[in-house]
Amino acid sequence: MLHSELSVKISSVQKMEAEIKTIKVTIDNITIDVAPGTTILNAARQIGGDVTPPAMCYYSKLEGSGGKCRTCLVEVAAGSTADPRPMPKLVASCRTGVMDGMIVKNITSEKVPEARAGVVEFLLLNHPLDCPICDQAGECHLQDLGYDHGKEGTRYQFARRTFKKEDIGPYIQLHMTRCILCYRCTYVADQITNKRVHGIVDRGDHAAISTYISQAIDNDFSGNMIDVCPVGALTDKTFRFKNRVWFTKPMDANRSCTTPGCCGKATLWLRGEEVFRVTARKDEWGEVQSFEGKPGWICNTCRFETKETSKWNIEGLTTISRHSVIGANKYNTLEMPKETIKKVMSGVEPKLLMDIHSVSGVNTNDIHLSELKGPAHSEDFKK
Amino acid sequence: MARKLLLEKAHVEGIRHYDVYRREGGYRSVEKALKMQPNDIVEEVKKSGLRGRGGAGFPTGMKWSFLAKPDGVPRYLVCNADESEPGTFKDRYLMEFIPHILIEGMIVSSYTLGSNTSYIYIRGEYDWITDILEQAIAEAKQNGWLGKNIQGSGFDCEMYVQRGAGAYICGEETALLESLEGKRGNPRIKPPFPAVKGLWGCPTVVNNVETLAAVVPIMNIGADEYAQIGIGKSTGTKLISACGNINKPGIYEIDMTISVEEFIYSDEYCGGIPNGKKLKACIPGGSSVPILPANLLLTTAKGEKRLMNYESLSDGGFASGSMMGSGGFIVLDEDQCIVRHTYSLARFYRHESCGQCSPCREGTGWMEKILLNIENGKGKISDIDLLWDIQRKIEGNTICPLGDAAAWPVAAAIRHFRDEFEWHVNNPEKCLTENFGLRHYADPVHVGV
Repeated sequence: MLHSELSVKISSVQKMEAEIKTIKVTIDNITIDVAPGTTILNAARQIGGDVTPPAMCYYSKLEGSGGKCRTCLVEVAAGSTADPRPMPKLVASCRTGVMDGMIVKNITSEKVPEARAGVVEFLLLNHPLDCPICDQAGECHLQDLGYDHGKEGTRYQFARRTFKKEDIGPYIQLHMTRCILCYRCTYVADQITNKRVHGIVDRGDHAAISTYISQAIDNDFSGNMIDVCPVGALTDKTFRFKNRVWFTKPMDANRSCTTPGCCGKATLWLRGEEVFRVTARKDEWGEVQSFEGKPGWICNTCRFETKETSKWNIEGLTTISRHSVIGANKYNTLEMPKETIKKVMSGVEPKLLMDIHSVSGVNTNDIHLSELKGPAHSEDFKK
Repeated sequence: MARKLLLEKAHVEGIRHYDVYRREGGYRSVEKALKMQPNDIVEEVKKSGLRGRGGAGFPTGMKWSFLAKPDGVPRYLVCNADESEPGTFKDRYLMEFIPHILIEGMIVSSYTLGSNTSYIYIRGEYDWITDILEQAIAEAKQNGWLGKNIQGSGFDCEMYVQRGAGAYICGEETALLESLEGKRGNPRIKPPFPAVKGLWGCPTVVNNVETLAAVVPIMNIGADEYAQIGIGKSTGTKLISACGNINKPGIYEIDMTISVEEFIYSDEYCGGIPNGKKLKACIPGGSSVPILPANLLLTTAKGEKRLMNYESLSDGGFASGSMMGSGGFIVLDEDQCIVRHTYSLARFYRHESCGQCSPCREGTGWMEKILLNIENGKGKISDIDLLWDIQRKIEGNTICPLGDAAAWPVAAAIRHFRDEFEWHVNNPEKCLTENFGLRHYADPVHVGV
C-alpha cells in the first residue's frame, strides 16, 4: 500500500520533470542546457576544459560520494531565474544541483581560487609528499591538483601525521599516511562488493581507513578500490615498485571473463611484452569508464591473476591526455604552427633573435678552441 | 523578578514525577492541543515568535511549516538533547529536574507535525538523565499521554530515548540523524534538508530540548502573551547557563530585555565577579560564538547598552558583536589568559571534528598546534597572521557549521586581543609565568569596583 502510493508519487514527479526538458545554467559565462537534476560539476564537465572544477572525492559511478574534499567549491552568483539571489557561501559543485538560470563562477570567481588553494594546502598538510617512491606518481590526482591549484612551499612547521602500516590482504597495500579520506573506497566496498569489511575508524585528523581487526579484504571486486583511490593510499601489491607508470605503455584489451559483474574490458600496462599491471579503463576525468551505461569495474582475477598478453585480446593503444606525464615521449605526430613568425609580424624578419650568432665571433672558425690555454674569453676571438 | 515559564515549578518537590507534575498543571497543553488542528498550532507557534534555542535562532514555527508532508510517508520529530557545547548545560538541568515538560512539549509537537514516533537523542555522557527521561516516558504512557489513541483523540505516539556515543558532532542535526540510524555520525551534505529527507529518508524536524519545552508555555498562556515577553524578535524567556568567573554560576531563566551588565553584576543573576577582580572578556553564547572584550560586551559599538537577546548580542556583526548561540555564558576575569583559552577551545574542536571534509579535519589540528606554540612562548609574529588566514579558509568552506564554530573563536580572539598574542610572542619567558592581564580591556563601567 505504502510503496504503491510512493511509486505513484515518484512517477508523477518524474512526469513533471519530463515536462521541463532541459534547464539553462551559465558557468564562467558559458551557457549550457542540461537535464534537470544535473549537478553543477557534471554540467561543467559537459562544457569541459578549464571550466570544470577539480574533484578529489566525487566519483560519478559511486552513489553518495562527493562533498567532502571541498576542492570543487564554486561561487553561485545567481541561484536561479526564479530566485536570482547569490548563495552566501561557496558550494560544493559535485553535490549542488543546477537550477534554471543559475549563474556559476568557477575560474572567473575572485573567491574560488583562494579557497581552492586553501583546500589544496589542507590536503597536503599531512600528506607525506613521498612522490618519488610512490607508485601513484604520474597518475595521482593530488599531484595534478597541487600543480594546478596549489602554492609552492608549505607554511606547516609541525611533524606530519603518520600511521602504522597495516596489512589488508594479499593484493592491496594500504598507505594510510597518504590517504586524503575521500571515502571512495568505502563506497566501492558498499556498492560493488557484497560485503564491506573496511571503513573509517576514529575521527578528525586521526581518522583512518581500516579493516575490522586487520581482516583481509577478500572479495572479487576489492581491486577496484585501487582504481578509485585518487592518491597512493591504496596501491596494487602485484605492481608495487615494479615500474613507473610513465615507462609503461597502456593498451586497451578485453577477455571474456566468467566472473559475474566483471566487464572484462581493461587497460594493460606493458613494458616490452610484459604486462606489469592491469587496471580498469579510465575516462577523461580519471574515473572508470562506462560501457553500455554501466561502470566498467573489473574483477580481481582479471586485475591480479591475468598478466599474460596471450590471455587478452589487444584492441590497441589507450588514448591518453596530452597533458598526462604517462603520455610523455609517446606522441610522434608533431603539429607545426600554421603561421610563421614573419607572417605574425606582418613581413618583418625577426632580426635580433636569429642574427646574434652570425655576428658573434664564437661562430667564426678563425681560432680553434683547442688552441687556447685555459678558459676562452671574448678577447681571444678579437685577435 | 523576571517571569519564569520553564523553571516556574522547578523547585516543587517531586516535580520530576508525574503525579506532582500533573497536580502542578502539567499536560494541560496536550489536552488543549489535541482539540486543535495541527496547522493552527503551527500558526500559534509562529505567532509566538519562538526561535530555536539550540544556537542558530531560526524561527521554530517557520521550520515546522517547511516540513514536507507527502502521503503515506511517516514523519519524525527528533529532540536534539546532545548538548555538548562547552559552557552550555541548560538542557541538562531542564531534563534532569523537570523531564515531563520536555515530554509534554514533544507530545504537542509530535501531534502538530504528525509524528507517530518521536526520538530524544541524548548526549551519551548524560547517562543518568536517560534513566530519568525513560521513567518519565513510562509514567506518561501509563497515564495515557503516549501510546495508542492518546486521551481518546485517535492520535498515536511512541517516544524513545537514544543515547549518543560521545561525539560533539552528533549535535549537528544531520550527523545526529546518521547516528540515530546507527551509522557513523558524519554530517550529511545539504540539501536535501531534514524537513524533506531526514531520518530514514523521511521528513523530519529536529528541535532543541528548550525549544520543545517552550511549546508548553506557549500553549498554556497563548502565543500573544508569550510574544509580549521579551523584546523585538527575541520573544519569550531564555535559559542561560552561566559559568566562569562569577559569584553565582548556574541556570537562569531570563526575559530577553535585561542588559548584559545587569545579568553579570546583579545579585538576582550572576552576582558579579568574585574576589574583587575585573571583567576581561565573555563568550555570551557557548564556546562557538565570538568572544567579546568587556567594553564591547557591555555596550555595543554604537554606545548603546547591550541586552541579553538575539539582536543586541549580534549587533555590530562579528566586527564588534557576537551571538546569542545556545546561551552558554562564559565569563573570564582579568586573570584569564586569552591565548590559553583559545588554545583550549581549538583543542576541543580538533578533537571533535568528524574528519569528513578537509578544511576542518586539517585546519583545526593546525590551529591547535600553532596556538600551543604561542601559548608556550614558541610562537612567531607571523603565526598570528597565519592563524587568521587558516580560520578564514575554514570558515564557510565546510560541510557543517563545526568548521565555522572552530574558526570563529580563533578569529574573535585575534580580532579583539591581538596585542595579547603579540605579547606572548615577544615575551616567551614571561608568558609562562605571568598573565597579560587587563591592559586596555578594562571594564569601562565597573573599573575599580
